[in-house]
Amino acid sequence: MTDTRTAGNVARQLNELTPGSAVSLQMSVDNYLDVMRGVLDMYAGKRDMDTIYVTATISFEAIKRIMAALDIDTSKVYFVDCISHIMMGTEAAQKDERASLVESPTMLENIMLKVEYLMRRSQSKEKLVVIDSINSLAIHNNNWILSEFLHILVSGLRIKDAYTIILSVEEHSTPEIANMVNLVCDSGIRAAKEE
Amino acid sequence: MMPPRTGERERCVTGIDGLDTILYGGIPRDNTVLLTGSCGTGKTSLALEFLIHGAVAGENSLFISVTENSEKLLANIIPYKFFDRDLIKSGKLVFVDLPAMYERLGMTKAELTMEEIDLLVAAIGNLAKELSIRRLVMDSITSVCYKLKTPEKIRDFILKLSKTLSDLNCTSVLVSEIAAQSSAYSTFGVEEAISDGIVLMANMERRGDLLRTLQVIKMRGTMHSRAKYVLDLTPMGVLLVPLLKGGSSAT
Repeated sequence: MTDTRTAGNVARQLNELTPGSAVSLQMSVDNYLDVMRGVLDMYAGKRDMDTIYVTATISFEAIKRIMAALDIDTSKVYFVDCISHIMMGTEAAQKDERASLVESPTMLENIMLKVEYLMRRSQSKEKLVVIDSINSLAIHNNNWILSEFLHILVSGLRIKDAYTIILSVEEHSTPEIANMVNLVCDSGIRAAKEE
Repeated sequence: MMPPRTGERERCVTGIDGLDTILYGGIPRDNTVLLTGSCGTGKTSLALEFLIHGAVAGENSLFISVTENSEKLLANIIPYKFFDRDLIKSGKLVFVDLPAMYERLGMTKAELTMEEIDLLVAAIGNLAKELSIRRLVMDSITSVCYKLKTPEKIRDFILKLSKTLSDLNCTSVLVSEIAAQSSAYSTFGVEEAISDGIVLMANMERRGDLLRTLQVIKMRGTMHSRAKYVLDLTPMGVLLVPLLKGGSSAT
């Protein structure tokens, strides 16, 4: 794992990936905003790629607010929101054509289907899929099904030359989750907590 | 999508990527396929998409609506990115309401006679011939069967219809309605036995989530996957992904 401390470093390492790569991006809770800036602004934004952002942690609306606060352009970010429905807060997502709702983070097949739909809709030459985060998905799914999900999703995206970033939160990670992610990823980036 | 192997039957490419992959290239040409499932499983949407892709590819396509007025059907159609209403204006995609056909043929009684069955099959065949139809959907065959009543008549009707359409080089999809928890593939138990293929669509409950699934049970003339897939109805058409097996025990 590479030790990366800033958004710029995250972006720099992502820029070294070849098309179809899958990368595990491990971060601390404290690094979340740096990682967002690094991935969405300094990496995907600079390369003008469409980003499909699968959020199972917080609602897409909350992420959009964070991005707005960070002054990150979200016009090329499309959300697959797996959390708003179970929180009974779907109104904003229904009004935003860049948001697709999945009823529950347990509906892993539907996450794949929404990603596939957005991939087909995208006109962008390069495409990025961000899974935020494997730990949140692990709350709702057992390791067997989650592992199978990652394998099918990442394999499918590889064929299409899309980049995949799987976010994991250090504080919530377990060896099983780390193994599961490592199995499908080509490389890992560690956005470590400042000492 | 996997192309058909040399020596295999010519395919009718459905245009639904996932389904063509499952069928190793598409439905074998001139087959009659039973598309079966309970309500809300996406049968009509999938059947319509099959016809639209055919019409876009230049194959004249006919939708015979039995249960729903075709105008209402079109009003509720998914806003497919690939659907152009000019396909209807140009006659590539034709909608016919069967009740209107019954009326024209004077079939006003609740039950059709054997002679009327022949008349109905001939009328559908003539229409398909006249319009050079290569793809046909009947939605639903179950509603027609209610007018036939007996297994003998149902068998006779489907066999004659399949033969007539197959002779016209027309690939057909007969939509069949079954009860939600049914273990059979058709309401009358006859339709499934005499079709060339069976595509089963269902609602599968897993830990309180309701997933739409599709499974090809049989398809004469081709190898095919027998696995269960999860589908979504989108403006880009029907999308399919494999059902995750890790969850199959957690129902």
